[in-house]
Amino acid sequence: MLKKTLYSLLFSSVALMALETGDSVPQDIQEKLKLESDKVYVVDFFASWCKSCKKELPLITNIYNEKIAEVIGINVDKNQEDGEKLVKELKLSFPIVYDSDKRLVEAFNPLGFPAVYYVKNGQVLNVIFGAVEEIDKKIKEDIKAIK
Amino acid sequence: MIKILLLAMSASLFMGCSLIKEVKPWEKETLAKPIMQFGGLHPEVTKFESHVYFSKEASRGGSGVAGGGCGCN
Repeated sequence: MLKKTLYSLLFSSVALMALETGDSVPQDIQEKLKLESDKVYVVDFFASWCKSCKKELPLITNIYNEKIAEVIGINVDKNQEDGEKLVKELKLSFPIVYDSDKRLVEAFNPLGFPAVYYVKNGQVLNVIFGAVEEIDKKIKEDIKAIK
Repeated sequence: MIKILLLAMSASLFMGCSLIKEVKPWEKETLAKPIMQFGGLHPEVTKFESHVYFSKEASRGGSGVAGGGCGCN
């Protein structure tokens, strides 16, 4: 009994793991994002204070407008108004989920920002952390390889 | 007995580590604010100070970081 308690104490300190390539997105998160089967989703986490995100978002909008893949933007600003202001400013046309309660971002637990995930049938196919020059080209290539 | 003692010690040690909360990439809003730059909020003062610095030291550069402090490249 004592041993069990000590082991549970020991492992309770280990942080939750981030979602990586090959991992499954939890069912409740899939439902919240309304993910449909057999579609490739580009899930992009961003915030209004993240300069690299601001640089990448218009390029990701192109991906959505050109119907390369389904795009879901997840805004993680504390104040939803900041996120809404950015969306309006950059004229983002893809669906945005405001994650003020941090439920989604904590489930994915990205190691850097901006974070882009490719998700198909509830499975993470690839992850991109940090700023990438011409991310639209990279996404196009990746989606082509996935399809 | 020694095994249990060792286990208890390592458990308390790791519990101590868990008290230090890691700042996640999405929690770096405050760090991304202009006031958090090494130069501070007033660039004109920073520029003047760096001018004095490189005049005195005959060296320049390495006095700032690029990016939004969001953990990205």
